Amino acid sequence: MEPTSDNRLMEEVRDGKVERLAILFERHHVMLFNFFLRLTGNRSLSEDLVQDVFFRILKYRKTYQGQSKFTVWMYQIARNVHVDHLRKQKQEVPLDEQFEEPAVAETPPIERLSAEVDAALLKKALDRLPLRKREVLLLSRFQEMKYREIAELLGCDIGSIKSTIHRAVKELGKIYFELQGGTSP
Amino acid sequence: MKCEQTREKSADYLAGELDEKSLAEVRAHLADCPACREELEGLSAIWTKLGVLPKEQPSASLRSRFYEMLEAYKEGMEKERARLDLGRNLSRWLGRLMPRKPAYQIALSLVLIAAGLGSGYLLSVRSRSAARTEVAGLKGEVDDMRRIVAVSLLKQASPSERLMGVSWSAQLDRPGDEIIAALLDTLNQDPNVNVRLAAVDALYLFYNHPEVKDGLVRSLSGQTSPLVQLSLIDLLVEIRERRAVEALERLIQDHDLNPKVKKRAEMGLTQLS
Repeated sequence: MEPTSDNRLMEEVRDGKVERLAILFERHHVMLFNFFLRLTGNRSLSEDLVQDVFFRILKYRKTYQGQSKFTVWMYQIARNVHVDHLRKQKQEVPLDEQFEEPAVAETPPIERLSAEVDAALLKKALDRLPLRKREVLLLSRFQEMKYREIAELLGCDIGSIKSTIHRAVKELGKIYFELQGGTSP
Repeated sequence: MKCEQTREKSADYLAGELDEKSLAEVRAHLADCPACREELEGLSAIWTKLGVLPKEQPSASLRSRFYEMLEAYKEGMEKERARLDLGRNLSRWLGRLMPRKPAYQIALSLVLIAAGLGSGYLLSVRSRSAARTEVAGLKGEVDDMRRIVAVSLLKQASPSERLMGVSWSAQLDRPGDEIIAALLDTLNQDPNVNVRLAAVDALYLFYNHPEVKDGLVRSLSGQTSPLVQLSLIDLLVEIRERRAVEALERLIQDHDLNPKVKKRAEMGLTQLS
């Protein structure tokens, strides 16, 4: 039997079967967690934000239209949650963040680069990418969203998403090579 | 195909979204243009690398917190439904009491108005003296309700609601042991730094309560966030809590302590002793 689609499940949640949200949670919470983790670099904060997304899904379940893909709607909420968090953080002194994630150690010589260090470098490079580019790149590469869906999510045309992707990957490559201690090709 | 068009297609190329015809065109251009070839190879390399970044797993508490929230929401929905049903039944029942003919309806309303006026007069005479004690009682009730709301907000899954719980607690005239315990619990256990910070501020209002000073001193050794440590130290110095001296001395011994916190703790020690 075909598994029930996300959209169908969310329609059921909207119509009162809120326990069906559990399936959507199981399907998407790890992805969402990784999305927030790449945006904030903070594990416990990312968990709070994921929880907040599902809370808002419940709160606003009656507004779900079902015209676009469920994940588009969900990431719209996720972006709002993140923006609200940034706004809140601006008012407080963001002193705490820097103590949570241990900084990447001095860059080792290239020949000793293990896969792990490599991944850490890439993460660090991602952190330095401007928010908009990082977001678009995360959505397409990690959240398995099509450019068309990202365009719908961000409310812009698909052409600008594609050029953002192009520029984002290019810039990421540049930062990555700089972090490696080399010069960009 | 030109370089410009190739660049426009690169996002689709990376995502594997190009149809065969466009792919062939891109490849044909790459064969002739070393600059574009080099650029696209670079992009592909990074794109592939991104794909092998490991997926991180959240802690188990995320799942349990989600299910707690879902349960709480379902319970709330059922209560709401029960209330709606009650209201509907009540209005149906009252509707049945209403006479059909307009003349009778007017008569019934006149009778009701008269009855209302009469009993109102009687009550006002009798209750003027009772009113004063009632107001006092009501005030107590409001405080009780606030207390209940605050405690249940403090147990919510969303940090913003817990923050609200802390601020509700801070509005109480007499917080009572339950609120104090809940606030101290929040200070020690809450995963969110902002909520813990708010708890410190709220506890400051109640520092005369016997449990509070003890709890604050004890909490200092358990905190890991520098922000919370700083504001706890400030508070303990502010209320001139002598028992904090020992806790501060122990804190300073900690080698992993944030240097700013250490400085503040040392300053606090000199202020206290």
